[in-house]
Amino acid sequence: MIWLVMIAAGLFTFATRFIMLSNIISNRPPPWLVDALGFVPIAVLTAIIVPAVLIDPASQKIALGDNPRLFAAILAIVTALVTRQVITTIGVGLAALWLLQWAL
Amino acid sequence: MAETSGKFLAPPKALTARAEFWAGVRDETPLMFGVIPFGLVFGVLGVESGLSSLQTILLSSILFGGASQVVFAQLWAAGVPAFIVGGSVCVINMRHLLYSASMAIYLRPLSLRWRILLGYLLTDEAFAVSIRRFQHETPGPFQHFHLLGSGLLLWVGWQISTVFGVVVGETIPESWSLSFAIPLTFIAVVAPILKSRADLAAAVTAGSLAVIGQPLPWNSWLLLAAIGGILAGWLVHHFNQPAGGAA
Repeated sequence: MIWLVMIAAGLFTFATRFIMLSNIISNRPPPWLVDALGFVPIAVLTAIIVPAVLIDPASQKIALGDNPRLFAAILAIVTALVTRQVITTIGVGLAALWLLQWAL
Repeated sequence: MAETSGKFLAPPKALTARAEFWAGVRDETPLMFGVIPFGLVFGVLGVESGLSSLQTILLSSILFGGASQVVFAQLWAAGVPAFIVGGSVCVINMRHLLYSASMAIYLRPLSLRWRILLGYLLTDEAFAVSIRRFQHETPGPFQHFHLLGSGLLLWVGWQISTVFGVVVGETIPESWSLSFAIPLTFIAVVAPILKSRADLAAAVTAGSLAVIGQPLPWNSWLLLAAIGGILAGWLVHHFNQPAGGAA
């Protein structure tokens, strides 16, 4: 079953990359769709980030004050804005999380 | 194209296929500093979330899209029904339509075999560097080799780092919280691209819906949050346009 879903999702993904290069569709996507697709990365990635940061994995509840992941994430956001580097952002965020988990 | 400038008909110095290929590799190289850690993290996470090593590794070539692979692994591990897993992956990867649409004028003249190969290799990072070459540099008969170079480097780097992550991941203890590297990777991508009010609307809406939607069945919060965020961004963008502007 898992293989079937993997392959179906893979075929769909390939289709999104290939279809405009094929002769099946000759028009560009309509402007409203182009605008909407432009928001996909922000919407999807933020939807993954926020629960991973705010929701405590043990209790499955929102944690604000006593939440080392929230502080680590805030530090990581600042790092990302300043350095624009993925590897530095991961490094600072993980280091902050480890330090806080060890200190608390 | 008869009226095109002489520059196009007789490019001053058309690059060879080999030169285009290596230019693509060279232009892609700086982006690998973000891609390789991400591949490692995906490899670790895939195994951690219960996929087999083989499934994790093959996902990197079958889907070949970082965020969608993470979502696939996490949702599948959570026992989510297949159609929600598939639907989430599809929404995430829909953005590639934009890339292939922008590439179409440059790649349409190629043979079907080339277009299938280059379509498969058309990722965020390869698109980013090769569209710049197509749009801003002298057109050449072998310019598609630029995308082959950028795309292949990315593909090889992604596969190797995934395999590495799978191997290393089996030895990393849970207490290292390495799965936290996933949201950190995405923070590194998203934080610098939040520029307009519409971007912020998309982010805030998606983030809020993702948290509020947690109790929903089948982990459908991700799909809900993604669609809600896209809609919010689109609405703000649409109604912020100057009066009389293009609709």
